Order: sequence, then C-alpha cells, then structure tokens
Amino acid sequence: MVADDDPGILDAVCIMLEFEGYNVYCTPNGAEVLNMDSNLPDLLLLDIWMSGIDGRDICKQLKQNPNTKKLPVVLISASRDIERSALAAGADDFLAKPFDINDLLNKIERHLAN
Amino acid sequence: MSKSIPESGYKATFNNISAAILLIDIDAPSYTILDVNDAYLTATNSTREALVGKSVFGAFPANPSDEEAKNIKMTIFSFEEAIQTKTTHTMSDYRYDIPIRGTDEFEERYWTTSNTPVLDEYEKVSYLIHSPANVTELIKLREKEIASVEAIKNHRQQLYSTFMQAPVGIAILRGAEYVVDLINPTLCEIYTRTVEEMLGKSIFDVLVHIRGQGFDRLLDDVRLTGVPFKGQAYPATLLRNGKLETVYFDFVYEPYREIDGTISGVIAVATEVTEQVTAKQLIEEAEERARLAVDAVGLGTYDLNLETGEMITTKIFANIFGFDEPVPRADYVSVFHADDRELRTAAHAEAEVSGRLFYEARVIWPDKSVHWARIEGKVYYDAALKPIRILGTLLDITAQKQAKEDQQKLMALIAESEELLRNITTAAPTGLWMSDEQGNITYVNQTWVDWTGLCYEENLADGWLNSIVREDREKAMEKFHNDLANRTVYEVEFRINHTDGTKHWCVATGKPQYRHDGTFSGYIGSCVDITEQKNLQQQKDDFIGIASHELKTPVTSIKAYTQVLERMLLKKGETKEAGMIGRMDGQLNRLTSLIGDLLDVTKINSGKLQFNDRDFEFNDLVKELVEDLQRTTEKHTLIEHFFPTGIVFGDKERIGQVITNLITNAIKYSPQADRIIIHTGIKNNEVNLCIEDFGIGIEEDKLNKVFEQFYRVSGDMQHTFPGLGLGLYISSEIIKREGGRIWVTSKHGVGSTFCFALPLKYKTKVQQSKFME
Repeated sequence: MVADDDPGILDAVCIMLEFEGYNVYCTPNGAEVLNMDSNLPDLLLLDIWMSGIDGRDICKQLKQNPNTKKLPVVLISASRDIERSALAAGADDFLAKPFDINDLLNKIERHLAN
Repeated sequence: MSKSIPESGYKATFNNISAAILLIDIDAPSYTILDVNDAYLTATNSTREALVGKSVFGAFPANPSDEEAKNIKMTIFSFEEAIQTKTTHTMSDYRYDIPIRGTDEFEERYWTTSNTPVLDEYEKVSYLIHSPANVTELIKLREKEIASVEAIKNHRQQLYSTFMQAPVGIAILRGAEYVVDLINPTLCEIYTRTVEEMLGKSIFDVLVHIRGQGFDRLLDDVRLTGVPFKGQAYPATLLRNGKLETVYFDFVYEPYREIDGTISGVIAVATEVTEQVTAKQLIEEAEERARLAVDAVGLGTYDLNLETGEMITTKIFANIFGFDEPVPRADYVSVFHADDRELRTAAHAEAEVSGRLFYEARVIWPDKSVHWARIEGKVYYDAALKPIRILGTLLDITAQKQAKEDQQKLMALIAESEELLRNITTAAPTGLWMSDEQGNITYVNQTWVDWTGLCYEENLADGWLNSIVREDREKAMEKFHNDLANRTVYEVEFRINHTDGTKHWCVATGKPQYRHDGTFSGYIGSCVDITEQKNLQQQKDDFIGIASHELKTPVTSIKAYTQVLERMLLKKGETKEAGMIGRMDGQLNRLTSLIGDLLDVTKINSGKLQFNDRDFEFNDLVKELVEDLQRTTEKHTLIEHFFPTGIVFGDKERIGQVITNLITNAIKYSPQADRIIIHTGIKNNEVNLCIEDFGIGIEEDKLNKVFEQFYRVSGDMQHTFPGLGLGLYISSEIIKREGGRIWVTSKHGVGSTFCFALPLKYKTKVQQSKFME
C-alpha cells in the first residue's frame, strides 16, 4: 500500500511498483489503513506530510495496535532530518525524497522478507 | 688762811643754789617746812610765806592726778627711810602736778626728789634736805622716746608684715656676699625654695646657678655706687623643679643704707614676668607669622581711621592698586573703576551697620590695565557704637576673575559640545557604548536606553546584559570578555528584549581604545538593530526551505517516472532510449543535489542543521563514493591512495556529502587533467582525507575565501564553471560541526588539494600508517 497526497508521486510510484510486479494499492489518504482490520497490506509506504495528517501518528497508532503492529511501515519524507523522529514513531524504515528506485525496491524486499 | 664763809654766806648760797631745796622738820606726820630756797619757789610757783611753817603736805595739795594719794605715801616713806637710814633717799620719776597760778588747773610735773638727812652733833637726824628735781622734761622725753621706740617697733612690725605678704618678691641682701637678711615668701616661691633655706645664707650659695650671670656685678654696682638698678624683662637661668629654666624678671636693686648712711647691702624687689614675656614672644611670633603669611599670599593690609581719614597701608596694598609705595587714601579711591564706585559706597554703608566690609571692584592702573581687587575689613566701634576704624585686607583677584571667566566660557563650550554629542548620538539610530579596561560599561547613548527601557545607570557595568534575551546572554558576555582579554575587535549577535515588546536582533561591535600613553583604556562600540535584516533573512531562509521542499515534490515524481521508464525501455530492449532516460535521471540527481544544497544553507544559517551521528568505517564510505563518482566522469581517473583509517563517529550521509562535493569540485575544476588522487589515512589521531587535483588551482589571495558562502571562481571564468557556490561552504560547516578541520593548499594553474580531518574513534586492525609524509 502506498499513501501520498501528491498525485504525481503517488501515480509514479504506483506505476513503478506495478511494473516491478507488486500488487499495489494506492491512496492519497493514509488514514485509510487505520480502518483496515482485515485485508491489511503486506507493507505500507507512508508519506509523512499529508494534508492535515502526520504519517508518524498513523505509524504510531499502527504499531500500538496489536492487530497491525506487525505491518512493516516505511515512512517517506522530503526532509532527511525527519528520519530520527520517523524511526522513533516506530517506523521500520525511512526514505528521503526524491528517492532512487533501487533504494526503494531494496527496502521493500527486505521488509517483505521478514 | 683761806677765806671762811660766814653763816650768812651759807644762807645766801642756799638761796642761790639752782636746785630747789626745802628744809623739812622731821616732825611726822606734818613734816613742817623749815626753810625754802628761791629755786624751790620758782619751781613750785609759790611764795615763802605760803610755805614756811606749813606742813609739806599742806603746802602742796593732793595731786588730782594722784587718786590714791600714792605720792603722799611715797613721800612719807622716803622721809622715813632717810631718817631711818640716815642716808639720802631718792624718789625717782614720780608725777606730782602743780597748780597753775591764777587758775584751777594743774600742770603736769614729774619729779625726782632726794631727801637727805642732816645730823646734829648727837648723830641724830635734825632735819631733812628735800630737793625735788623737775624731771618733767626728761620724763616727757623719755616717754616720747619710749613712744617712738614703740612706734618704730610697730612700724617695723607693719613693715615686716607688708614685706612678708607683698605680692612682689622682696629681699634684703647684706654684705659683699649678699647674705639674705630678709626674704619674703613671694620671692622664695619664685626661687622655689623655702624661707628657711634662704635666710642667713648668701644668695649665691642657695641659687647656685645665679653666679656668673652678671647679677653679682649688678649688686656690687648698686652697693658700691649707691645707684639703684632697674631691670625689665631681665632673663635669668634658674634651677627650678629639677630643670634649668629661663625666667624673666622686672626688678629693682636699691642700696640698703644703715643709719649712718653707709650702704651695707641691697634691697631687691622683683616680680617674675616670664609669662608675660613668653606671651609677648608668642604674640610677636604670631604677628610675624601672620605678616609672612599675608605677604606670601599677596594680601595687602590697611588700617583706616574713619575719623581722620588717615590710612596706613602696606606696600603690597599699594602695589595692588598700581602704586609703587603707599599713598594717601584719596589716591587709592581715585583709581577705582567708575562703574564700581557706587558698589564701593554701598559696601561701606553696609559695613558700618554690619561690622564687616566686603566687596570686589576694579581698579585702573597707571598703564590703563584693569585689575580686580577684593576688599575685606572689620569695623571697630567706640563706646558710643560709632564706627571709628576699619582694619582689613586687599587681594588682587584679577587672575581668579579671569580664570573664572575662562572657565565659564569653557563650561559653555563643553556644554555646547556635549549637547551636540548628545544630539548626534541620539540622532543615530544605533546604540553606542563605551567600556573601561575591565569590561564595565561606562556609557550608553540615548538610543540604547530607548531600546532597552533600562535607564542610563541600569545599563552601566554589567547592567546591559539584562536587556539581552536569556539564551543569548552567556554567549554575548563570554564573547565580550574573551575579545576584551585579547584586545581584539569584538563582534557578536544577540537578541534584546526591546521596549516595543518584541525581541530585536542586534549586532554589537567594539574596538579597543588606547590612551595617549599607550595604555589600554577600554572599548568603544555600537549596536546595530538588524532585526529587519534578520527577519528578511529568516523569511528568505523560510522561503528557500519551503521552496526546496516544494521543488522536491515534482522532482520526486519525475524521478520515479524516469526510473520506471528507464526500466521499461530496458525491458523492451530499447537501450538507446533507456540510456537517454538514464542520463535524464542523472540530471535529476544533479537537480536534487542543488535543491539539497539550498536547503542545507538555510539550515546552516538558521542553526537548524542536524546530524545523525553513528559509527561507520571511513575508508569503506570513501571507496563507495569513489566508485559512484567514477561513473560520472570518463575523462578523469579517480585514483585511490588509501591507508588504513578506522571508525569515525559522525553523520555518514553528511560526511559523504562533503567527500562527494570535494571530488565533484576536483572533477569540475580540472577539465584539462586526467586524474584525481584520493588520499586517506591517519595523522595525529585524526582521520585525514585529501582530494588532489591537477586543475586550475586557486589564487593565493582567494585561498581563505573559498569556504565562504556564495564564493565562486570569478573573473572571465565565471560562467564556465557551473554551481551555486554553496558546496564548499556547506562542506566546511559540516566538517566543523563534526569537530574536524577543512583546508586547502593550491597553486594557481597547477592544481589544488582539498583536505579535511575528523576525530578518529578507533583504528582498524591494521596499525598506524605513514600518511602523506
């Protein structure tokens, strides 16, 4: 699952992942994942700054919920400096924009393997 | 045969004898008068008829002065004694007044009477020869003598008493040795001896020290010549109370004459006047001192007799008025400045009432120069309270007056220039300040006071720090004191709590000041309000931050599209197209890098640059980057010249950023070269990295500027080399923040070597190598 409020990024990333063979669910609204009790994705790519919602909060909530805490969350942000607080929010990984596709794919692979 | 005297002759003789004689019968108790001679009649003022045949007691009535009839008894007794003893019996000096003829009065008479018995042939007393001698004169004389002796005695007693009690010293000195015959307690006191010690001894023996002071000669002169000597305030050295003292006497030496007129000694009368003499001396000294003082100060003195108009003045007094010598009063009055005459008259009128004269006026000297004089005086009054005299002083105060005028002018000038200074410093929209050598603020201008809201005094010494926002205070104070200690130019930025309620940014600068003698005297400096600039800067930074953030968004999606497109094309086998897309991706990386730099700079400027420090292997990082960057250039060969380093604790990404920046620069600025050498190693417990290029190099005067923000190679080369000029600035900040150093050595036209050093955490297994020796 990919959540980012910028349509350009969302579209490009989804196309990219689909091309690599992943089954992708794309949404501009990251909070959706909180309402997914069943049908959770295997991995969540979550943008931090989405209009009105902080991805870190979503991540925290996910990690606190026993149902969802096993879900690997990778937080994305334009600012590298956020990395620390991202990881502090419980994220499994962090990626700075603009990211290289190889980096992204490596991280997805790694976390899916767990 | 001798003549024989007939009986009648004896009778005649008897009558002619000058002594008064009575012949008395021994027929007691009447004792009849047998015969009486003429002398007797004369002496008793009586006649023969009255006496002969009568009782001696009948003829002479009882003396009214003789109340007890003592005389009669005595007379009878004398008669009987004479008869008894058949010898003469004398009654001496008894009083028997006789009546004055013709009156009832009696005359005082004294008698010495002898009664001589005459014997008959039978040796029996026949009659008595009664011979009274009138001894009245004698008695009277004797009485007088006694009285006078008594008087003399009393007189002497009185004299002695007076003498002994006299408040002046008196002594009578007898003989050539001047033995003290008499000395009174007063004098003894002066000599500090007792009367007993002095009496009967030579004065020179008692007062040993007197000898040789000339008194012996004075005494001799008086004694021998009879000429008295008077001494006034005459000095003598006496031993008193164990000390030798100089004592002063007013004294007189008078010759002591005996009855026969010879001079047997000297009477000395003396008073001690030491106190008066000393007092007089003190007064004289005081007067002298006063005179000297007056002269030294240049005071003229005057004594004005108001009744006669006469004035006694000193030379100095005259000089002050412009005269060489004292002149009459009228002359002095004439040289007063016309405008001051009224003042003078008023002052005199006031003085007569108040008793004190005081005024200052101008006098005109013969050379027409104007001098100021201060006249003071005290008025003396007679018994009727009429002023009769003024005594006073005169001082030339021209210099003082002039000085005062000059001073006033100067004060006015100073006030003017202070006013000007105050206006200037207030007009300047800059805070101005001054400090002393210790760093205590000694002056702040009105602007600073207005900004801080603290009054002038509150800002002094350390007070100014209170206006600074708390977080910035320590830094500001430390910087100031460090710079002060090193006497360097001071500059620091801080925020103050401005009176408008907001925080204002200021940059304070100061320059060390030195006195004429070269000693350090403190700082003079200014504070400029840079809030506007800071705000603008902040706005700019904020903008750039936002902008770069915004820019990243489209770049992210472009990059994603580009990368996926590249893969798609590769998959399709369209390698050429894929290659183009790949190069597009490369450009996007460049774009990303530039945006990143912009963002980094704003972070650095606003102090928001953060590091994620962790341990990493240094050489591994360098190797990785070299490999990546080698792919970006075909022309240059990146040569690894690695020595073992170790683990560095730092932000791997950021340090990687620096290495990338340096290598990229090396590639960029050596277009004609074909290699770049990358050195790593350990030196002095630091990890060192050097990038050596063989490019255009950097001019010597630009070497220390390369790390500054916005520095770019300038000149005709400006447009040849792309870049924002931020790379080295950011690299320098990163290295500094990580506790390292960055530097460059270069030769223009030959090449540059950029190096940095970072603290080594611990070495790798391989031991310390020789790095770039």
